[in-house]
Amino acid sequence: MMPLEFPRRVATLLLRFAIWIAPHDTHDWGHGMLSELHHVEGNWAALVWALGGTGVLLKHAMLAAVLPGSHRPSVSSVSELFDKEGPMRKTTLAVITSCVLASLLLFLAPVFRQAFRVSLAQWHDVFHVKGSFGYPSPDPELDALAKKAEQNHDAEALAFVAVRYPNEIQRARLAEEAVHLDAHLTWLYAVAGTAYLSPSEIDRRVSLLKQWDPEYGLPHLFAAQKIGATVTYTKEFPLGKLLQSPAWEKEMDAAFQSPKLDNYLDRQKQLDHRVLSRYGLDDPFQAASEDWYGFPNYGVWECSLYAQSLLESGKSLESRGDPKAAFEKYWVVARFGQMMGDGAGFTFVMRKDMKQAYTRLGALSQMEGNNAAAAFYAALAEQFDKAADKQRLLLRNRLEGSEVSHWNAFLVRLSGLGIIFCALLLLLSALGLVVRSRSLRLSSLHPSRLTLALGSGAAVGSLLSSVVLFASYWPYSGLLHGFLSRGDDAGLFELYSFLRDTQLPLGSQFYLGPGSWYVASWNVVFYFWFAVTILCVLALLIAVFRHFHTRLGPRAA
Amino acid sequence: MKTPRLSPQTLRVLERFLERPTAWRYGYELSRETGLKSGTLYPILMRLAKFSLLETKWVTTEDGVPPRHTYRLTPNGAALVRATFATTRSALKARRPAFSGGRA
Repeated sequence: MMPLEFPRRVATLLLRFAIWIAPHDTHDWGHGMLSELHHVEGNWAALVWALGGTGVLLKHAMLAAVLPGSHRPSVSSVSELFDKEGPMRKTTLAVITSCVLASLLLFLAPVFRQAFRVSLAQWHDVFHVKGSFGYPSPDPELDALAKKAEQNHDAEALAFVAVRYPNEIQRARLAEEAVHLDAHLTWLYAVAGTAYLSPSEIDRRVSLLKQWDPEYGLPHLFAAQKIGATVTYTKEFPLGKLLQSPAWEKEMDAAFQSPKLDNYLDRQKQLDHRVLSRYGLDDPFQAASEDWYGFPNYGVWECSLYAQSLLESGKSLESRGDPKAAFEKYWVVARFGQMMGDGAGFTFVMRKDMKQAYTRLGALSQMEGNNAAAAFYAALAEQFDKAADKQRLLLRNRLEGSEVSHWNAFLVRLSGLGIIFCALLLLLSALGLVVRSRSLRLSSLHPSRLTLALGSGAAVGSLLSSVVLFASYWPYSGLLHGFLSRGDDAGLFELYSFLRDTQLPLGSQFYLGPGSWYVASWNVVFYFWFAVTILCVLALLIAVFRHFHTRLGPRAA
Repeated sequence: MKTPRLSPQTLRVLERFLERPTAWRYGYELSRETGLKSGTLYPILMRLAKFSLLETKWVTTEDGVPPRHTYRLTPNGAALVRATFATTRSALKARRPAFSGGRA
């Protein structure tokens, strides 16, 4: 139960707080209201009394912030003003200097510089400065690294750039150069530069991939994708044509029969770690690659399609009275699905096919009287189902990102903007002061109350923004450091999700919609910046109004 | 001399002051007499003080209780308020509509 005295205590606290923030010339009135509080009958009546008083004092506090001179006694000369408020001015100037110095000192910390760079990423798309995850455009840092790598004949650095380069043609060229320098990097063909290649070039690369990694299924999927692309572009029954293509079936069969299926993700991560460490790169956007969702997506559709054709073929064999051959077909699908589930991230795509394959395998085993095998297949089906659910959830989490990373990204963008805004305000205040005093000598600078208020507000704001930026980015710098120093990639998806959010301009939204992975709401961005502009114009008008008010007031009197 | 805008609430407060022009009044006492909340009463008192129509003083009442802020009309304030009330009354009489039944 609430104590009876509680409202009165709250009332006292409220009034004390209001007095604390109220301008000096209203302190007597505030204390008057506070002393009357002891005589107000009833605890709730006391709270109502305090609320009214607090409202009055807050109004004066706000008025004093906008029109600082309007509630204070007038003075006859500038020297009188300076004499009266000398200590306040010195304190204010000391606060401004301390805040600015503290903010500047933070820039000495590499983590803070990195955080500031990340906070500026929201402008990259707006000003088309460099490439981002969704919108490829030139990236000067990647260009510089590519040039350096070419000069040094550094195959790994070339491979690093090839995976990230926004231009597909350049990607293919850099990948070619990297593989030419080091044949161990042939896997790069499967990862970088698969689009805009001529069919003969694709054939050459697939052939090299097969020679380099004969046991792995991925080159076959790469080849199947190429065949699929040429077949579907005939516009006539693309699905039927694809299934009737012997070359496509041959490649898919080879992929499904292959003993291993590697998405080369581990190789890519190891290479990234080595290159980032060797070149001393600490750009988080380069470290967290967007391609790390697991299995290359070009193989997914083909796999599902081929699995469906195998299942159909199995059913057909069953109806023709050949359960053994049908069992083989189902088994191939189940085996490939399990292989995919071990290392790939798109297991859930084949969920339906796998369920069907296991059901048929169980049914055939039961028909043979092998109940133990039937139970085993049922258990495998359940296990696969759970794994697919887990993977789908994981992928969704990776795409959507966590609430924490959304909030941190928001704070980073906001504080970065705050630092720039406060720095500009501080600069304008300093310029205004110099222009008004017509001197650069410190002793002859006489800041007005508005200048002091703006300057101190901007200085405190810049320090506050810097601290918020530092604190919001700190966990992600730890994740990046863990990867760069130890190759620990556990937090890279979290880092990627956070970085993806930081690239959206403040005011825009990121969400998963039906049929679309993300939509940045540009209308919201427009309205946000429109509101910011209006507020800035209003602030300017108030400043101009105040300027004329203070200058014309004494003349009129 | 500049005078504050005289709203009905301000007139109500001034009326209370005029009842005992030389007496010091407490904020809570005024609030109870006029029925005005602190959020309305204090801006009126502050405005009257700003125009030097009201003077303020801190008084100690009893031990253990903080001093209280008290208010009284200044001689100028009292004169102005009397004049204002006289003007207001005559204006009201002049504007009295024919169907008001003789009530002022």
